[in-house]
Amino acid sequence: MVYELKDVGVRINGKDILQSVSCTLQKGRWISVIGQAGAGKSTFAQVITGLTPFCTGEYTHNGQSLPGDRRGKRTAVPQAGYVFQFPEQQIFETTVYKELAFALKVKGAAPDKLDEAVKSVMGQLGLPESLLQQNPLQLSGGLKRLVAIASVLIAEPELLILDEPTAGLDPLSRIALLKKLQAWQREKRRTVLFISHQIEDVAEYSDEVMIFTQGRLLAHLEVNELFLRQSKLLEQAGLPLPEPVQLLRWMEAASGRSLEPASCREEDILRLVRPVWQSRGLHHGG
Amino acid sequence: MLVFDQVDYHYRRGVPVLRQLSFTIRQGEFTSIIGGNGSGKSTLAKLMNGLLQPREGQVKLGQLNTLNPEDLRGIRERAGLVFQNPEDQFITTSVHDEVVFGLENLRVPGEQIADRVNEALRAVHMEEYAEAMPHQLSGGQKQRVALAAVIAMKPAILIVDEATSMLDPQGRQSILDVLHSLHRQGMTIIHITHHMEEILSSGRVLLLSRGEIVFDGTPSALFGNVSLAEHSLALPFAVRLHQALGLRAPLCADWKETITGLWSMS
Repeated sequence: MVYELKDVGVRINGKDILQSVSCTLQKGRWISVIGQAGAGKSTFAQVITGLTPFCTGEYTHNGQSLPGDRRGKRTAVPQAGYVFQFPEQQIFETTVYKELAFALKVKGAAPDKLDEAVKSVMGQLGLPESLLQQNPLQLSGGLKRLVAIASVLIAEPELLILDEPTAGLDPLSRIALLKKLQAWQREKRRTVLFISHQIEDVAEYSDEVMIFTQGRLLAHLEVNELFLRQSKLLEQAGLPLPEPVQLLRWMEAASGRSLEPASCREEDILRLVRPVWQSRGLHHGG
Repeated sequence: MLVFDQVDYHYRRGVPVLRQLSFTIRQGEFTSIIGGNGSGKSTLAKLMNGLLQPREGQVKLGQLNTLNPEDLRGIRERAGLVFQNPEDQFITTSVHDEVVFGLENLRVPGEQIADRVNEALRAVHMEEYAEAMPHQLSGGQKQRVALAAVIAMKPAILIVDEATSMLDPQGRQSILDVLHSLHRQGMTIIHITHHMEEILSSGRVLLLSRGEIVFDGTPSALFGNVSLAEHSLALPFAVRLHQALGLRAPLCADWKETITGLWSMS
C-alpha cells in the first residue's frame, strides 16, 4: 500500500499553500510531519486524505491515479483515515457507541460485528465500556480525543493521519496514547502520518520525518539521519532540536569528542552521555 | 490578594469537581497550576474570575466576593482570563477592534482607548497586525491577540488556562516571554499548564488532583518530593537530566547553564 505524490501544488485564493511536493508514503512506517505554524502541514495531510483538492501534479495510490482533482473536486482516498486537530470537528453522533459504529455501519456491517468491533477498539485505546451510552461531546477533552481516534481506528485504515493528536492531553495520557497508537501501527503494519509540534515525541516515535517550510517539503529523511546527522535542516525550518539532541551537541562541544548514539531517542543519548560526564568526576555534583 | 476559602464545586450533584480548596495567591506572585486531565484546573480558573460561583465556601479578590452579583464586574476588571483556544473569545473582524471591545465594555473613556490598545499590542509584539483579521493569524499570533485583549484592561491578575497547548515551540515561547515580562512589571500571573518545563521558572506551583490541592510549593520541592506519575504528570527534561547525571546543583530551568557551570569547575 503506497501513496505517492509528484510535484503536487495547492493554491487557495491566489496564494500557494503547497508547492511542488513529491513524496512516497510506504506501508508500515510512522512518518512525522513537522514545520512551523503555517508551513503547510495540515494542507498536505488534507491533500493525502482527499479533503483538499490539489491544483497541480499527480497523486497515485498503489500506482492508480486519483482522478477529478484538477477540476477542484474532492476525491475520497481509499483506506485513509483522518483524525482532526479538534475532536469537535469530527464528532457528530449522540452516543459514543453510535459515533464508533458509524464508519462500519455505512459499510453495511452486521449488528453483532458492530458490537464486537466497538468493544475491540475501546479495549485497544483503554476506553471503559461505561462510556458507550454517553454523549461524546460531553466527555472531558482527553476522552473526547480518544473517542475521535477510536472512531477512525475502527475502520482499520491503511493510512492513519493524526493532526496534533495529543494537544491538550496531560503528559502521561499523551505518552500512553502514543504508545497505544504505535503498538497498533506495528502490529497491523499500518502507515501513520503524525503531525506534531512536540519535537521530542517526533524523535521518540518516528521512522521517518518530513519537514515543511513555507509550503515546500524541505526534507524527508529517516529519523536518526535527520536528528543526528542533518539537524541543520531543523534550524533552516525554524524548528528547535529535541532537548536530548541538544544535550548530545553540548557534550560533543564540551568534551571535544564525536558521540554516536544508537538512536536519537532520549534513553540512548543519556546512556552515551552519562559515562562521559562521570569520566570528569562530575557525578553527584562534581 | 486572591483567596479561596473552603471552596466546593460540582456540575452534577453528587459528582464533586473541586473539594474544600483553600489557598491564597498574593499580589505579584507567578503561580503555575498543574494536574492531569479532569483534575479541575479549568473549573478553578473560571471560579477565579467569577465565571462560576462556588457551591460551598467563597472566592474573594481583595474585598470583592464572587458570590455577590454586584461585585462581579469589579472582579472581572481585576482578574483577566485567557482560554486554551483563542477563537473561543474572538468576536470582531480586526485585531484592533478585538482589543477595543473589552475596553468599551469597561466604559474606558474614548480618549484613553487608543493608547491602551497600542500599549497592549506592543506588549505582545502584535502592533503591526492591528488591521489584520484575527482568524487569519497563526495560532501563536491569535493567542497573543487574545492576551492583548485581556491585558489592555489592566487586570491585577492574569489567569492563563493552557494558552500554550495548541502552539508550536516558537508560539509557546512567545507567550511565556510575554507572561514573564508582565510579571516583572508587577502583574500577578496564574499559569495553568500541562507543559512541565514551563513551571520551572515559576515561584510557586499548585498541584491539583481529583479536585484537591495535593502540593503547594516551589518547583524544586515538587520534583524532589512528589511522585508525579500518580497525578498523570511527568518530569521535565531538565529534571530527568539532573537525575540521570546525578547532579546536586540547584534545579534551574536552563539546564545548559547548570551543566556548563559544573563542567567548567571540573
